[in-house]
Amino acid sequence: RAEQARNRFQSELEFIQCLANPNYLNFLAQRGYLREKPFVNYLKYLLYWKEPEYAKFLKYPHCLHMLELLQYEHFRKELVNAQCAKFIDEQQLLHWQHYSRKRTRLQQALAEQQQTQQQQPPHGNTAAK
Amino acid sequence: METTMAVAGKSTKVRLLSVLDDLEVLSRELIEMLALSRSQKLPQGSEDTQVLELLVQRDREFQELMRVAQEQGKVHQEMQVLEKEVEKRDSDIQQLQKQLKEAEHILATAVYQAKEKLKSIDKARKGSISSEEIIKYAHRISASNAVCAPLNWVPGDPRRPYPTDLEMRSGMLGHMSNLPTNGVNGHLPGDALAAGRLPDVLTPQYPWQSSDVSVGMLPPHHGNDFGLEPPGHNKENEDDVEAMSTDSSSSSSDSD
Repeated sequence: RAEQARNRFQSELEFIQCLANPNYLNFLAQRGYLREKPFVNYLKYLLYWKEPEYAKFLKYPHCLHMLELLQYEHFRKELVNAQCAKFIDEQQLLHWQHYSRKRTRLQQALAEQQQTQQQQPPHGNTAAK
Repeated sequence: METTMAVAGKSTKVRLLSVLDDLEVLSRELIEMLALSRSQKLPQGSEDTQVLELLVQRDREFQELMRVAQEQGKVHQEMQVLEKEVEKRDSDIQQLQKQLKEAEHILATAVYQAKEKLKSIDKARKGSISSEEIIKYAHRISASNAVCAPLNWVPGDPRRPYPTDLEMRSGMLGHMSNLPTNGVNGHLPGDALAAGRLPDVLTPQYPWQSSDVSVGMLPPHHGNDFGLEPPGHNKENEDDVEAMSTDSSSSSSDSD
């Protein structure tokens, strides 16, 4: 029985993280799972992963946001469209890249600053009148 | 001599004035009689004395009334003094009342704010997590690029902020059931897709399954039948109840 519970923990951990994948959500929507009442109830049950003692096992935290959105019927309906899933995917990737972009920008700004500082002393007297 | 006191019957002022009138009349009569008696030389004895007596009586009344009026004046003055006292006390009381009200208001505000503070302290305490755990978790999700893209990521890189097709199939769920081919993500070669199973060589253990970490961790107690209406759920319409029939759970155990 303890093993059953462990297995269930494992499978629910995997399943909930799969929800971070918008293509998978589209897959589920197109096969009608998101319309089934028991499945919707199961999604509500999965909300327990938001608690800290469970959330710390999540490798892909995006899944929690998706889970929250999935509680809304409107969202579940929209996921049937491939364009919707594609849009979510794109936005998700852009968001994912946000910090690396920010870091790159900062690094570039820093590099530029250092460059101008190095260039100034030799050219300080050639300012045009 | 004014008095605003209205006694039962005539006021002192009225009485005084009427007595004065009487005096005037009487003295005029007396003077007339004297004048007459002088010219006529007849003894008017009884009438003289009558008028004189009346005169004296009236004068006595007059004196009495004057005395009364004086006393009344004193009383009136006392009354005024007392009234002033009363006014002063009254305003004192009002002042105290105002201050009391102010104090009460300030105290009420202070108590209220203190209560709010206590509430927020409670709330913060409830949600407190050791900073070490948070840092550990932050490391975990950042190191695997799950929340922040790798710095050298370009379009075409198969890495994603979610489990890819490959990862999904290589997990416990993927092995539990033969998933139909769906071509999403396109991360797998077609052969493996058709087979529905990966050869063991290609089965990587992805850290997102965290089987080693989660030993001892159990899901919250719940029956296996998700067809039943969960308590308080009211967003959806009432549909027919069915047992869950998705691929992802093949645990056909009885309830605990």
